[in-house]
Amino acid sequence: MAEITIRKRPRTEAVVTQRKFFKKTARGKVIKVLRERYLRDDVACGIHSCGLCAHEQDVLLPSSGSFEHASFANNGHFVLPDTNVFLSQMDLMESPLFSPPIILLQTVMEEVRHRSLPLYNRLKALVKSDDKKIWIFYNEYRSETAVIREEGESPNDRNDRGIRKATAWYNNHVSLARPPVRGQAKPPLPTIVLLTDDVANRQKAEKEGLTCMSVRRYVEGVKESGQLLDLLSAAGSETIEPTQAVAARQALYPDYLPMATLLAGIKSGQLHQGHFNANQYNYLEGSVSVPAFEKPVLLIGREHMNRAVQGDIVAVEVFDEKDWKAPADEVVDQEATLKNDDADDSEEEGEDDEALAERKVLQTELAKQSASSKQPTGRVVGIVKRNWRSYVCHIDSTSLTSTNSTSLSQQTVFATPVSRLLPRIRLRTRQAPALIGQKILVTIDRWERTSRYPEGHFVRALGKVQSKEAEQESLLLEFDVPYRPFGKAILDCLPPEGDNWVVPPKSETDPNWRDREDLRDLIVCSIDPPGCQDIDDALHARRLPNGNIEAGVHIADVSHFVLPDTPMDHEAAARGTTVYLVDKRIDMLPALLGTNLCSLRPHVERLAFSVIWELSPEAEIVNVRFTKSVIASKSAFTYEEAQVRKDDPKMSDPLTESIRLLNDLARKLKAGRMAAGALNLASPEVKIQLDSSESSDPIDVEQKELRETNSLVEEFMLLANISVAGKIQETFPQTAVLRRHLPPPKANFEKLQDILKKRRGMTLDVSSSGALAASLDRCVDPNEPAFNTLVRIMATRCMLSAEYFCSGSVARDTFGHYGLASPIYTHFTSPIRRYADVLAHRQLSAAIGYTSLHPSLHSKSHVERVLEVVNKRHRMAQMASRASVEFYVGLALKARSEKETVIEDAFVIRAFRNGLGVFVSRLGIEGLVTFKREIQFDADNYVITIPAGEQPVSIAVFDKVKVMVEVEQDKNTQRGRVVMSLSHPIDSRGM
Amino acid sequence: MTSTLVSKSERAYIQASLQATPPLRGDGRGLLDFRTVLLETGVAPLANGSAKLNIGKMPHEGGGGTEVLAATKLEVEDVETGDGVDGGRIVCSVSCSPSAYPHLSSNALDELQYDLTVILQQTIGHPSLHPQNLTIIPRRKSWLLNLDVVILADSGNVVDALFMAARAALWDTKVPRTRAVEYHAPEETQTTRDSAGAMDIDQREAIPQTSGFDTREMVRTAADFELPDYWDEGEVLNGRERWPVCVTLNLLPPTHFLDATLPEEASVPLRMHLTFSFGTPNSANLQSMRLSGPGELDLNQIKAYIADGEKYARELFNALETKLREEDIRRNVKARDRFALR
Repeated sequence: MAEITIRKRPRTEAVVTQRKFFKKTARGKVIKVLRERYLRDDVACGIHSCGLCAHEQDVLLPSSGSFEHASFANNGHFVLPDTNVFLSQMDLMESPLFSPPIILLQTVMEEVRHRSLPLYNRLKALVKSDDKKIWIFYNEYRSETAVIREEGESPNDRNDRGIRKATAWYNNHVSLARPPVRGQAKPPLPTIVLLTDDVANRQKAEKEGLTCMSVRRYVEGVKESGQLLDLLSAAGSETIEPTQAVAARQALYPDYLPMATLLAGIKSGQLHQGHFNANQYNYLEGSVSVPAFEKPVLLIGREHMNRAVQGDIVAVEVFDEKDWKAPADEVVDQEATLKNDDADDSEEEGEDDEALAERKVLQTELAKQSASSKQPTGRVVGIVKRNWRSYVCHIDSTSLTSTNSTSLSQQTVFATPVSRLLPRIRLRTRQAPALIGQKILVTIDRWERTSRYPEGHFVRALGKVQSKEAEQESLLLEFDVPYRPFGKAILDCLPPEGDNWVVPPKSETDPNWRDREDLRDLIVCSIDPPGCQDIDDALHARRLPNGNIEAGVHIADVSHFVLPDTPMDHEAAARGTTVYLVDKRIDMLPALLGTNLCSLRPHVERLAFSVIWELSPEAEIVNVRFTKSVIASKSAFTYEEAQVRKDDPKMSDPLTESIRLLNDLARKLKAGRMAAGALNLASPEVKIQLDSSESSDPIDVEQKELRETNSLVEEFMLLANISVAGKIQETFPQTAVLRRHLPPPKANFEKLQDILKKRRGMTLDVSSSGALAASLDRCVDPNEPAFNTLVRIMATRCMLSAEYFCSGSVARDTFGHYGLASPIYTHFTSPIRRYADVLAHRQLSAAIGYTSLHPSLHSKSHVERVLEVVNKRHRMAQMASRASVEFYVGLALKARSEKETVIEDAFVIRAFRNGLGVFVSRLGIEGLVTFKREIQFDADNYVITIPAGEQPVSIAVFDKVKVMVEVEQDKNTQRGRVVMSLSHPIDSRGM
Repeated sequence: MTSTLVSKSERAYIQASLQATPPLRGDGRGLLDFRTVLLETGVAPLANGSAKLNIGKMPHEGGGGTEVLAATKLEVEDVETGDGVDGGRIVCSVSCSPSAYPHLSSNALDELQYDLTVILQQTIGHPSLHPQNLTIIPRRKSWLLNLDVVILADSGNVVDALFMAARAALWDTKVPRTRAVEYHAPEETQTTRDSAGAMDIDQREAIPQTSGFDTREMVRTAADFELPDYWDEGEVLNGRERWPVCVTLNLLPPTHFLDATLPEEASVPLRMHLTFSFGTPNSANLQSMRLSGPGELDLNQIKAYIADGEKYARELFNALETKLREEDIRRNVKARDRFALR
């Protein structure tokens, strides 16, 4: 038994035993924080078979360090990195090739955490990973290495001193741990190498007789230095611009204001904070939505965008109203304008050809501004938070100076991101020739004010362009979808019976049956798209003796398997949603649950969460109850099968009757909803027909078909969601997980209203969702049935997106769902593929007294945090699926265009000064038709006129045209892209 | 002040021995001698400044004496919206531990606390002593300095102890360094806008004409502050030498004496509390004067007493000053050296 003694520490030692610091809270108060510190003599050094330290844990560091480095091949070494190494060279540290034994000081960890939380999290993950040898040394708690701040010493100096002291201690410790044995040669002592990019710290360390190196010098001595040097971030190297003096270069961008000034400006309302959105048509333009203005703040030109990258949170200064401008109406392509820019010397002067070309573009636009559509205009004065991540790019082959594939010389090249919203990235690599034609991952390191482009470094190659694997992975990376397989800790949360798990036989004592209703005899069936494996909903309906109808929606009881605060729950919360790509599904929950145990497959007993209504024959809710249940689905239909069965007059079995009854009710429910002002929205949806599961070459693209039975399922899901939303909101008014759709600001519709009015003489009433629905119904062109759909698609784009929220966080009157015209709504019906539903299940289960609510769901801040992640994942998942469809549409087009010229009907949806935006409804894609020749553009009436011989051709928005669609491989970037040209009313090729 | 009950005969005995030649006091002191004063600063680590003071601790018994604990705490106040005052303010409060006055009812204790608070607040909070560095952002944010004093035990001369402890705590107080953060519309706006937009704007009209006397601009722009160095305790209060000391003259005509014990306090008809501030070595400012007790004085006597009081106060001030400087060194330099030499 260890003896416990408590020794009161005298106050006279407070300088040593207490660490005091001040903290400024978010509300502006200053508080003093006091931490006790106990210095010990038994903080272990972590070196294997060290004679002085008693190690209880697994020791990670080999006893004589690593011999892998050229400078320390004889005696071995350990690396002790300074904070700046982790702050700027995290990619290097994470590389599997970089594997010397590392001593990580507590001082360094704390400084990293203080400087950057994301980096700190990466560092923590790094420490845990198996392939690294990292030992955390708690130097602030070991009596020999603890330091006290001197009078007048800056915190940074104090930390540097602590790091040097720890290095010295380690060196000393290593020699003490290896006492010379008489009669034997003294063994070579391993060296502790202080790795730092701080020159001052290096000089001081050298003065104290410590071995230290800059990261670059160290990496140059490592065996695989070639690949590792590429990982070095630009920020850490002093030698990236060897030829030019820094001072001589002209600044292209204004300086950022210091952070504190920005925050002060934002607080005082003189600056505005928001997310930077690049314009995908014009790389010289961006916008920032800020709460102070109804319209987003426009940023025109490089200087005003001032190095902001898509997604960054920026602070903008808004100009006086007389300087406000309208967004440009021209397509400006980065590649076309800047094709001559040379990666190596694009820095040299501000007034080179490219800059002039850009200026010209901007000037021609300004000259033709129409006065009507001005919006707030401003400039970026600082970045509140960078949201840089890794971007999927292609190497621009023209920027290579040497294409000799054996050349290993370092070159500066351009990487063009796949996303049109991002600028080109400059990077230096030795592997440039090998990377041509590959998709690669690139991280931005910095963007100096003297450099037109951001500088980055190569992270890894994803594979050949156009190969399915590379495209798929790049898509997942691009949209930040977590796609790693589920780890062991998560799989351990599954029921141990695995596939063989069944609902146990009914008994009073079985916990699975506790408070569950036995609904196995009900005639329940599920209706889903063909090939659906994760069936999360099933339905039933039957007539009651009193003339009313009982209808039930049965949802897979996922919360029975996914318990709160388990690794599986955390993972599901982090994934947020299942992502559906054309040829792949990235599950939110392990497949055993998603496609088997929770999936309400036919003819097996499954646990369910049921919502059961008593409805009057007019589909009015008489009564609703919620219960956990056990069901046995009688059949799993596809929409088509269900439709056929319902329409077949010969069938009259109970199952068919049940479907007819449901359908009947659904029609009435829908009519009721429409009368209340629900919108019938449209978004382009196409289906990719895959040949077979092996070769996933698409055969064709077809538009999704909607049947009556789709609407049947939808109506009941809506009804269930609304009923559940009401119940959980009532029980947990502070933390209920709900979903809302805010009414769009009227300004969003202005443009569409204007176009409709001028082109078609139609009006759009946006005063309420009901009025909008009615006026959308009137937007019909008798000759063109697709016109109405087009208007609906365009109206949908003017709206905001729906979002999950925590009921206690927003005002009660903003709960409504605009699109559904429902005062309250949530998601309850797809817990297998959406995490918000799982939360709703838990809350409903607590609301009916089946379980108690996990404390985390009582915490508003926790629910808010989870929902924020879910909202983001949800958005990303949608974009990822859309991008996946687009990729396959591209493949299909490519296949088709090899056989024939692809000509499709299209609608003009936008007019630019030098082109048209068109929408091809049959393919569900949007494209651009650009004209090189001068054309006339009437911005007020949305008409362009193409001078072609005697008969100029005018084309206006909403006109139907025929376009020729080609897939063209961009020669520079290897990026496959859809190119469109007009074929009717005029052939625009060569124009 | 306190109502320790002494019998008439006791009082007569004490008065007679004080007026005897040579005067005699219960503990053998001379009339102008203080009991032992013990002082320690930095006793409350979470406060911005603190001190513990004891007068008359019995060295052998390890207890007794008047014991006072003082601590200061700084709080950020909003001048525009909150109740802050531009330039900062000081709020004093005195609380008496019920165990120090076991014979007082809670109402009487409240009254006593209030009395002492008023004495302290009126003297310490006087504008002539106000430190200059309690401003964070002019007209926006300022520090509120709370000075809280607790009387843990009373065995006489509590007012002197109160002021000594307050002075030590204020001396020890460190104000966190702040940096005002402001937003200036940068002037290069004009040039960049020109180069990008190629617009022709009259330069003169765009740049606002600012007058050197116009301080509104500054107030408008500085919106917030930050802590440039959060490990640092900060700087001492401006003009900390000025904080006053108090001497209480116990008047028993024709004689007077200092540092009365409780029975002595109960035996004198009149007491005179004098607080002096010694901002510069040669000057002395009488900051406040207060008489308590049923006796009376004429103006000439008062003048004489003030002149005497100044002399005593200076001695007390010098002793306290020496000790405070010693404490500073003990707590910082010496502790660090000891750590380095382990």
